Amino acid sequence: MSEQETYIKPELMACCGAREISDGDVVIVGTGFPAMSANIAKHTHAPNAVMMQESGVLDARPKRPALSVGDPCLNPGAAMVGGLIDVMGMFLQGGWVDVGFLSGSQVDRYGNINTTVIGDYDAPTSRLPGSGGANPIGALAKKVLIIALHDTRRLAEQVDFMTTPGYMDGPGARERWGLPGGTGPRAIITNKAVLRFDEETKEAYLATFHPGHTVEEIVENTPWDLKVSPDVRETEPPTTEELRVIREVLDPTRMIAIYLKRGYV
Amino acid sequence: MLGVAMSKVMTMGEAISANVEDGAFLFIGGYICRTPFAAIHELIRQGKKDLTITRSNAADDFDMLIGAGCVKRFIATFLSLGLYGLARCYRRSIEQGIPHKIELEEYTNLSLPMMLMAGSMGMPFIPVKDMVGTDLLKVKSFMGDDKYKVIDSPFDGTPTLLVPALKPDVAIIHVQQADEEGNAQMWGIGGDCKVGANAAAKVIVSAERIVGRDVVGKDPSRTIVPSMKVAAVVEEPFGSHPGYTPGFYDVDLNFGYLYQQASGTVEGFGEFLEEWVFGVEDRTAYTQHFIERFGYARFRELQAEFDYGYPVSYSY
Repeated sequence: MSEQETYIKPELMACCGAREISDGDVVIVGTGFPAMSANIAKHTHAPNAVMMQESGVLDARPKRPALSVGDPCLNPGAAMVGGLIDVMGMFLQGGWVDVGFLSGSQVDRYGNINTTVIGDYDAPTSRLPGSGGANPIGALAKKVLIIALHDTRRLAEQVDFMTTPGYMDGPGARERWGLPGGTGPRAIITNKAVLRFDEETKEAYLATFHPGHTVEEIVENTPWDLKVSPDVRETEPPTTEELRVIREVLDPTRMIAIYLKRGYV
Repeated sequence: MLGVAMSKVMTMGEAISANVEDGAFLFIGGYICRTPFAAIHELIRQGKKDLTITRSNAADDFDMLIGAGCVKRFIATFLSLGLYGLARCYRRSIEQGIPHKIELEEYTNLSLPMMLMAGSMGMPFIPVKDMVGTDLLKVKSFMGDDKYKVIDSPFDGTPTLLVPALKPDVAIIHVQQADEEGNAQMWGIGGDCKVGANAAAKVIVSAERIVGRDVVGKDPSRTIVPSMKVAAVVEEPFGSHPGYTPGFYDVDLNFGYLYQQASGTVEGFGEFLEEWVFGVEDRTAYTQHFIERFGYARFRELQAEFDYGYPVSYSY
């Protein structure tokens, strides 16, 4: 069996994220998938992409995978280390960020994200961490990529609490609220598929399904009436070069495999 | 003739009891980086009550204060145990009212630092571009209608979100070094530490080491808070463990796991406090206990390697 056939789902998802990044993009990343995606892009088709962490770091050169956006390994070697006012204020609100990566406990058909509560706000079933940097990244980054588990609990017709704006309640909403033009979610990358957003309706539709999954299975596991692109096709598996970068350069200890335990299979 | 420097050096016990009253509004700096844990433990040890606490991206230290019952209100953006998932004491407080339900006012990692910056600069409020259109505007707690205002910009008429300045009573920060008067120097990931400290009426500086005023003067660009704002200086080596201080020691992931496991139940959390907070009188005793419990090798393993940059020169 060739290496390409033995990739794991988190590697495929990281590659899907990487392919959304263009050369020269300024990317604000968290840990895990986002950092992996941005690094794959940087080592393949986008060598001039620049990464930053909201904690204040720009163009870090970590010698081990960062486990948080405040990880000590982000400090030595970076081009700049400041604080939240620098990255979230001067760079993100200042309009310099091209790509933001987000994940959430709940994501709905307009790409709105919930990281605040499951259930009623005043008496929640589950209190989640809150916005952190997610709301401003969702509001102000030019392209937002969303990582989610694909089931009828994690995806929702409508989120219980809109922590972070996607297209809100549909076409024209972001503009009405004065968010910068041309911003908003570009894709939801799940463990089964890549969903994109319809230009007219702003609703997420099925663009590609990952190898081993079917359109029917994906529609069934999506809680809204998921539209399917007429050009729907299989997601391109990780290339030999992408896998080499992941396994030899970025993650030789295979930390990405922890996502298997978190349901990314 | 220059004035003689007035030393503000004291113990953490003295610094907290002299400067933090029950019901105080505290900014507590840190971002995994430079968490002022020695001060957090002292707040708990002294049984401080009804505190309002704030910072962007809170973590295990805020969870601990909430679990210990010190907190009434939390001006929040985020609280989790990072790698170790949801914060257990925080969840118990909000979901089950254990030990009591804290009141939350929620912002974001853009708006909250901007509110602190406004506070530090004496501005009454500040416009921000996030939060609009989301449920973060629908939920209001103790700040009521003063959580935010939306106005038409007096310049171009566009709807503009305004958030109020925050002015904490006391800021508590941990830095690499400070002099005896309180000029506090920091390097590495900053989070909202500089604006938060400068927004407060007074600052408690916890530092890995106390250095001479002449050392501060060799690289004055690293000073984030000047002595005039500082009420107390406490030398606390290993003071942000299990968080880290750049150039001194690494984040302690094993201890993070220990805290996650302990804080999973009320009993476990109580035992954790008994062992690591009430069972030790100060940070020196804490560090000694750490070495006795886990061995010197593990303590040594956390210590940073030295990798100095080129010294800077400010000469002319």
